[in-house]
Amino acid sequence: MATEYVKYVDVTKCDGCRACMVACKNWNDLPAEPQDFLGTMQSHANVSADTWNVLTFVEHENSEGKLDYLFRHSSCYHCTDAACEKVCPENAISYTDFGTVVIDQDTCVGCGYCVQNCPFDVISLKTYKDKNGDEYRKAHKCTMCTDRLEEGLQPACVTTCHTEAMEFGEKEAMIKKAEKRVQEIKDRYPNANVYNPKGVGGTHTIYVLTEKPSVYGMPENPKVPTSAVLWKDYAQPIGKAMVGGVAMALAGAFVANKFFDKKNNQENRDGGGSHE
Amino acid sequence: MKKSVVSKEYTNLQKEIIKLQEQWKQVLNPDVIQPKLDQAALASGVPAAALTAIDFDIPLFIQWIDEINRLIVKKNPELEGKLGKVRELLNEEVAIRWIDEAFAVNQFYFQQFAQEHELEGWMAPFLAETALRPYLQLVAEKLQPEITHAVHGAGCPVCGEPVRLAQLEENGKKVVHCPRCLVQWPEKRVVCSHCGNEDSKTIQFISVEGDATSQLQVCDQCHGYLKVIDTRQFISKPSSAILDLNSIHLDFIAQDNGYGAATDQNTAN
Repeated sequence: MATEYVKYVDVTKCDGCRACMVACKNWNDLPAEPQDFLGTMQSHANVSADTWNVLTFVEHENSEGKLDYLFRHSSCYHCTDAACEKVCPENAISYTDFGTVVIDQDTCVGCGYCVQNCPFDVISLKTYKDKNGDEYRKAHKCTMCTDRLEEGLQPACVTTCHTEAMEFGEKEAMIKKAEKRVQEIKDRYPNANVYNPKGVGGTHTIYVLTEKPSVYGMPENPKVPTSAVLWKDYAQPIGKAMVGGVAMALAGAFVANKFFDKKNNQENRDGGGSHE
Repeated sequence: MKKSVVSKEYTNLQKEIIKLQEQWKQVLNPDVIQPKLDQAALASGVPAAALTAIDFDIPLFIQWIDEINRLIVKKNPELEGKLGKVRELLNEEVAIRWIDEAFAVNQFYFQQFAQEHELEGWMAPFLAETALRPYLQLVAEKLQPEITHAVHGAGCPVCGEPVRLAQLEENGKKVVHCPRCLVQWPEKRVVCSHCGNEDSKTIQFISVEGDATSQLQVCDQCHGYLKVIDTRQFISKPSSAILDLNSIHLDFIAQDNGYGAATDQNTAN
């Protein structure tokens, strides 16, 4: 098994340059999505099928009544316990050995369950047209540059970050680094915390935040939706068991039928017709 | 993206050899290396190792060669007979000669040695060079604080190996690494390591499609080349020797395009 890695994002070092967004588009060959002015520095309202990471800009009044301008690199969190993976009916979403969560585009049928169930709202559907003009959809999100990880390279966004707000390394080392950093900045930011939510088993993108997650527009306690757990851990196995049961019943019926048929045939041969 | 063109088996063998060399180096007493740095000689491009008194332990050198042989035979059992023949020829006298000739990269001597004893050409120089490197690397380790630059065209300032590999490190700093003795020194981003040319119009970069981390820097004045690898993108940095091996496709591309290491020209002269 490959080493489990984590992307570490220290928002206190981010200067909002958006090079991570450009690097992502560049590496993953994603088209530009021209946007209307949103009234802030933020370019896109949220991640989309063609924009896998967005730099968010939040204006926040801190406890001293002063303005904090908060920048954050936002993309897929690569949950250890991923709701998207649980709800996918085609098993198109899977975990890699690195701990990243990826979508197999060939298997995806564009049902959108992953989009509805993601607690972070980071998966989007894209509509395509086939050669007959029929529309079909596929789900897209950040892959944590798994194709780069396989080559021993860091994700493109991390590589390009010039303020070292992002780092990529072994899970334990990155978690320790985040905890240490929080201690360093506690004087300046009393609400500082490490964001590595337990409700989804921990994530493979962890943050050092200066304020509560909700200030950054992140869920405070994200959880794998109960419906997803029910679906994957109960409904699907029961369903499969029931399919097995039905198959057994059919086989039983077939055998029984054969037996009865023989009986009938025999009766016919004996000339035991009922209408006689 | 393309994986390395070198087979996995060979890369693994090299990794194990590097591990062995590291272990051997740890065994050596650093006092066996007595550098005598002569600034004038260094400024004229004489490799520092040539000015260093090294107290070689010949039985240890032979023991290391035995260890390499064992490793190679483990991976490739049919070589046992051939390597056994080399081992028979290797006595203390031959070992001293090997050290001298490997130190000077005297290919002519090793070719003759192979012909004389009907050996495969690669064997003696490979074994001698592999067992010599821990000493060179120890010299480099000792001298590293003094090595801040190199004389263009003179090769590695410690062991004289032709310059061919540089890494882009923190803040985009270009650092030339010697894959033989592992010494490193910083260099300007746009300068030819072989002739010192700084004219940006005659220094070109060749990139390989799909290779996100490496470039070839070639000089149209001296026709020298340098592999420049952006190791900032790596999750963990491999040793310079492995990096050099894994980027061997770039050497082929450079040489196919008419570029070579400057020392090739020196040899021709």
